[in-house]
Amino acid sequence: MVNLMLLAPEITILVTGLIVLLAGLFLSAQSKKIVGYIAILGCVVAMLLTISSFGTTAVMFSNSLSIDALSQFFKIVFLTVTTLVCIASVKYTDGNDHADEYYVLVLFATIGMMMVASANDLMVLFVAFELASLATYGLAGFEKKNPASIEASMKYFIIGSLSAALLLLGIGYVYGATGTTNIEGIAQNIDLLLNSPMGILSLVLLIAGFGFKIALVPFHMWAPDTYQGAPSLVSALLAAGSKKMGIIAAFKVFIGALIALQADWQIAFAILAVLTMTYGNIVALSQTSVKRMLAYSSLAQAGYITMAFVVMTPMALTGGILYALSHGFMKAGAFIATAAVVYMVTSENKDILNADHLDNFKGLGRRMPITALSMTVFVFALSGIPPTAGYMSKFILFSSTIQSGLVWLAVIAILNSALSLYYYARVVRYMYAKPTDGDRVSEPLPYVIALLLAVAGVLVIGIWPEPFVSMAMEAASVLI
Amino acid sequence: MLPILSLIVLIPILFSAVTFFTKTKEQARISALVGTLITLVLTMYMYFSFDSTSAAMQFEEAANWIPSLGITYHLGVDGVSMPLILLNAIVIPLLIIYTWNDVRAAPNRFYALILAMQGAVIGVFVSLDFFLFYVFWELTLVPLFFMVNIWGGANKKHAAIKFFIYTHVASLVMLLGIFGLYYNAWSLNGVPNMDMAYLIGQFQFLESEIARDAIFLALLFGFIVKTPVVPFHSWLPDAYSEAPTAGSVLFILLKIGGYGLFRVMLPMLPFTATPSLMITIMGALGAISIIYGAFLALAQKDLKRMIAYSSISHMGYVTLGAAGLVSLSISGAMFQQFSHGLIMSIMFMSCGVIQTKTGTSIINNLGGLAQKMPKLTVIMVLGFMASLGLPGLTGFIAEFLVLTFSFINMPIYVIIALLAIVITAAYHLWALQRAMFGTFNEKLGDIVDISSYQAFSMGVIALLVVYFGWHPSPVLDMMITNSEHIVSLMAVMGV
Repeated sequence: MVNLMLLAPEITILVTGLIVLLAGLFLSAQSKKIVGYIAILGCVVAMLLTISSFGTTAVMFSNSLSIDALSQFFKIVFLTVTTLVCIASVKYTDGNDHADEYYVLVLFATIGMMMVASANDLMVLFVAFELASLATYGLAGFEKKNPASIEASMKYFIIGSLSAALLLLGIGYVYGATGTTNIEGIAQNIDLLLNSPMGILSLVLLIAGFGFKIALVPFHMWAPDTYQGAPSLVSALLAAGSKKMGIIAAFKVFIGALIALQADWQIAFAILAVLTMTYGNIVALSQTSVKRMLAYSSLAQAGYITMAFVVMTPMALTGGILYALSHGFMKAGAFIATAAVVYMVTSENKDILNADHLDNFKGLGRRMPITALSMTVFVFALSGIPPTAGYMSKFILFSSTIQSGLVWLAVIAILNSALSLYYYARVVRYMYAKPTDGDRVSEPLPYVIALLLAVAGVLVIGIWPEPFVSMAMEAASVLI
Repeated sequence: MLPILSLIVLIPILFSAVTFFTKTKEQARISALVGTLITLVLTMYMYFSFDSTSAAMQFEEAANWIPSLGITYHLGVDGVSMPLILLNAIVIPLLIIYTWNDVRAAPNRFYALILAMQGAVIGVFVSLDFFLFYVFWELTLVPLFFMVNIWGGANKKHAAIKFFIYTHVASLVMLLGIFGLYYNAWSLNGVPNMDMAYLIGQFQFLESEIARDAIFLALLFGFIVKTPVVPFHSWLPDAYSEAPTAGSVLFILLKIGGYGLFRVMLPMLPFTATPSLMITIMGALGAISIIYGAFLALAQKDLKRMIAYSSISHMGYVTLGAAGLVSLSISGAMFQQFSHGLIMSIMFMSCGVIQTKTGTSIINNLGGLAQKMPKLTVIMVLGFMASLGLPGLTGFIAEFLVLTFSFINMPIYVIIALLAIVITAAYHLWALQRAMFGTFNEKLGDIVDISSYQAFSMGVIALLVVYFGWHPSPVLDMMITNSEHIVSLMAVMGV
């Protein structure tokens, strides 16, 4: 008997999505604000349901879905990001006739991500992956009158479709060799894939497929353009949520199913991790668009998380998993802060291009004190200054490399981390040390609430990490 | 019992938050002063109930923090940290009084940063868990970064980012060393634990000699960049001279690098694969810093930069004395940290006054200021004399102990350092002569003497320099107790 209560979070989000969809038909543009509140409520309820059932294990629907600490941890990550994005979106979609569609897409993307986290079968994983992707393609192009947004969506769609094709091809090869799409089934029949060219071929295709979603160099080309062009809050969802979907999928496929091919994919991930973090950090140094800078910084962060695949100890996986949660708070927060600035700039001057230019952050400490302070916390957290979530995650992840004797990797990661401080500190300098002639502006309440929640998350994980660390350890123990 | 150590860390941080939200300058400075005075009272209470004959940790507090990683909230003080806490607790309220009537943008943020800095620095001194230690260690960067960036001089942008990244890299290298210690003990005993004393104690059981040396050098790098020691000093002159006066004084009070040498490096030293090489490295770096810093100070045209370089030279005594490995040379090095904090505060405060009153700190553009600023001159001359090592003032005691007792183990380096004494005297006296004495430079216009607030805070520090110069035992006794303890631990190992 299937215990549907374990799927309650997904069902809640689905029902909320359908309610929003229906309500949208009957509401006028002015009263569409209410769908935002419904979406937030749905997310919060789903999150509470997930947290309350944390630690239960179950397999359902003919072994195609598995509920365990790992999947639940990532569901918490996705729901956190979605909640933050929805809260901030209340202001962004205010008075927009398409607000209902926006929230429906956000919620459906979230269901896709949550199903990926639970998938125990490559077909389920692929379908859920595509659900999330299709919804986010639409979201990236939400600003229909803004050419940059359309470009972002188009680029994301074309490259995303290509990567989906590669992923499917990779899954096809695995299925062809092992005769099953079930993750445990593949792990049992892995000897059919070992030492065969088909094994290598499927690894290449799978790494490319997931690499697109995680935005690992050299599969990252879409990310900076998409993050820059898409509405900032959608970029928050992409960078903080959808990227983690790629990571959990890669955890499941590589560590869950293809662990026997470890020697082959580990070296690939080592190269990709080093390339991604170094490239991301170096290119971020010269960006003047804050969204683009955050996009490259998010490449670098994905590079750090990828180190977990290289080290592959329980400690490293704990670090990687905790990093996913921390990054959710930090990156979503940073994009929401940028969204608040973009909102302020565009409401002053409608036709402005480059609303996220660094110059618009000048004197923000005086103009928008809460936004500026939150942004400071986020960028310092991203660069790993204690006592923040970013430091805590880096602490565990980087220290695990020393534990396994991979000193070279630790040194590269640490040099990268120091390099990143330059561009993060520059944002802070613009906000606090550059004079401006702009006046104090009132900060929209939804943005402020979302920012303060994200700041609270970043600081709580940094100052009292014990519950999060033990949850991440439990999640990591599912894998190893 | 009162958790006094938690209080002296948390009160400044709490008042920092309060100060940040004040609306006027009046409220900001009063809130800051109240916060630091409470800290001072608590510190004095702790100091007077401190047992300076015991080398053990006192006022210990311990609680679980992150049990799954073996991280505890463990605080304590001993003779190594007590004088440095005292130094911070005394000078920072005086610094707030010194800046009482300064005109500057956003005073609430300014005072909030000073308080945050005090909390973080004291946090470093009382932490007995490496994780906590590192958290506070990194936190000290943030207020100074803002301090230089917002209120700094013309070249502030460059100075702030250079300081931030340079010392951050050093901290990260140190963190790698901490990871090494942590996993060594974890794999030996099967449980994670971040306690400092425990990890340092387990260091000797690490089998690989290369790993032991690598860990030692990684930690040493972290500490000597912060100290700083030539050739890793280049962030310092820019940061010290571009910072506002209060920022320079906070930099001076940031004695965490030298503290790390005593707390972490010396107990580990005998167990490295090549202790004599490590001693040579430390001694040589100390001697080079002393003489190189002195020469560079001699060449400076700017008074503030001269003081910054003289600070490098003086901190060389700390490294040299620590490497001297005799209990009195180590005590001398510890006393140098304390004395240097007081003396440099006077020097930077004097320089700050000159800069605000005359608009310049280029030595050649000054001249004859003594005629217009007699009060400043008295205090400043005293500060300069203490800095060049005049007997009867604190600087002399520290340098005397370091030079005399380091001579036992490393005579060559002491001789090199002795050469610097002449240069030290030269640049101090020469700068004084050109800036303060001689004929008054009429281009400077009408100049008034220091305000009574400034005179008060500088005067108190000057009195302390004289007092501890004649009667160092209130802080020196506990330093000697602890350095004897460190040396006795080494003697067990036959080093």
